[in-house]
Amino acid sequence: MVDPILTLRSVVAGYGAGDILKGVDLDVRPATVTCLIGPNGAGKSTVLRCVSGLLRPSRGSVVFRDEMIDRLSPRQRLDRGIVHVPQERSLFPAMTVWDNLLMGGYTIRDRKRLRERVEHVAEAFPVCVRRARDDAGSLSGGEQKQVELARTLVLDPSLVLLDEPSIGLDPRSRQQVFGSIRGLADRGVAVLLVEQNARSGLAASDVGAVLETGVVRLVDSGASLLANPEVARLYLGGLTRTTTGET
Amino acid sequence: MVQGVILGVLTAGVYALMASGQTLIFGIMRVVNMAQGAMVILGAYLSYQLFTSFGVDPFLAIPATTAVMFTVGVAVQLIFLRPLHQDDRTQLSVLVTFAVALLLEGVMSVLWSTSDRSINTGYVNASWTVLGYQISLVRLWAFLLSLVALGLLHVLLRRTRFGRAVRASVQNPESARLLGVDADRIAAIGFGLGAATAAAAGSVYGLLYPFNSGSHYDLISQLLSIVVLGGLGSIGGAVVGSLVISVSTAVVASAFSPIWAPMTFFVVLLSVLLIRPRGLFGTAARGAL
Repeated sequence: MVDPILTLRSVVAGYGAGDILKGVDLDVRPATVTCLIGPNGAGKSTVLRCVSGLLRPSRGSVVFRDEMIDRLSPRQRLDRGIVHVPQERSLFPAMTVWDNLLMGGYTIRDRKRLRERVEHVAEAFPVCVRRARDDAGSLSGGEQKQVELARTLVLDPSLVLLDEPSIGLDPRSRQQVFGSIRGLADRGVAVLLVEQNARSGLAASDVGAVLETGVVRLVDSGASLLANPEVARLYLGGLTRTTTGET
Repeated sequence: MVQGVILGVLTAGVYALMASGQTLIFGIMRVVNMAQGAMVILGAYLSYQLFTSFGVDPFLAIPATTAVMFTVGVAVQLIFLRPLHQDDRTQLSVLVTFAVALLLEGVMSVLWSTSDRSINTGYVNASWTVLGYQISLVRLWAFLLSLVALGLLHVLLRRTRFGRAVRASVQNPESARLLGVDADRIAAIGFGLGAATAAAAGSVYGLLYPFNSGSHYDLISQLLSIVVLGGLGSIGGAVVGSLVISVSTAVVASAFSPIWAPMTFFVVLLSVLLIRPRGLFGTAARGAL
């Protein structure tokens, strides 16, 4: 098995008085989608914030490509190839789609290289070309998610952290977004995905992890978790389902 | 009436320049800068000093005064505003920047006393007559300067990497940070730019009106009216707000009586806010500058 690109060991973190993460252990491997599921308040988004540097763990280690990154700033982690797409809309609504893509490569100072990267990424996401001059806020929810995903690729990242990418989307847009997420992994990018819609998230993932009360309780393949009766009872509405959709 | 409109439009340029700095600072940092008026007056004093000591024309002094005021603005942001906690920043900024205004007023009183000053260049009373209407040359140049300064500000915000970072920080601060934008640096430079526009406007203000260290009280009430009328955080709104208020004031002054002119500011403001509480270009979401 390929070595993990990201390793969390005994990570403890929280806000103010209480710890939300109480010793998280997790591996994320290159070119795979890892989906973190669990009840509200389990700490799924907090895991992503610890990896991207928005929150510093009080204990434990976060290792990316054999380097301890616990004390690095979000900018330093970005420079190492970690891109975080936060929950809800992360675009800049009153800026054009093209300017949003340019912001994806904000840390690239060479204007020619930045333009080439944006043009390269836009080729794979037709909405970015079709709506390039429109304000991002005027796009549909599904289109905005496509632009968000395109924006994450401008820096050619190694690890993409996605927080609830399907929230607020209609079923068709959700399907497109999960298709694009699979596309990221096919390009060699490691994806760590937090998803409230556990069934769709696991179906699109190579690996699933169940987070409960700040601890990872179970790790298995996405397909196995979908077929697991206990996981189904707790997180999938009681029905097991294979990746092809059979109940 | 037409003479009043001409005067109002030309004066609006200067107010737009002053108010654009105010709204830029609010847009970037959610800081209500009560010191913007004092910064304009400090810019006027610097211009006055360069003119009386070295004979430097106030228009030619603008690069120097804007550079000085940019530095002052960055220092104010670093020392007084950066320590404020994000959650209370808007409310606390009113008190803190008012204290900065009082500090600047004190410094100006010590350096230049509290007597009225004015910058009397050779061309200060020159005017052209076009189709029977008087056009003050100083006001015309001031208007053109304001257009150029606002144009440069527009290009900076719309066409540069820094401008994109500013707009991104205004619209979605966390997302901007995750993309590598240093919000503290942007805030410091943004405040510096706001102070620089105050300096440019101050040079012109000193040519148009007599001023003293306490003149900022009148000025800040007018600037806040313009910014609120245009919509907090909108530079386009500040320009339109300046036009509406300045033209209506000048028209009232010329058609009725100058006594009623200052009150027009607030009548227009209240009338617009009754119909549109967010101002002309204000939005519920974080603005587009």
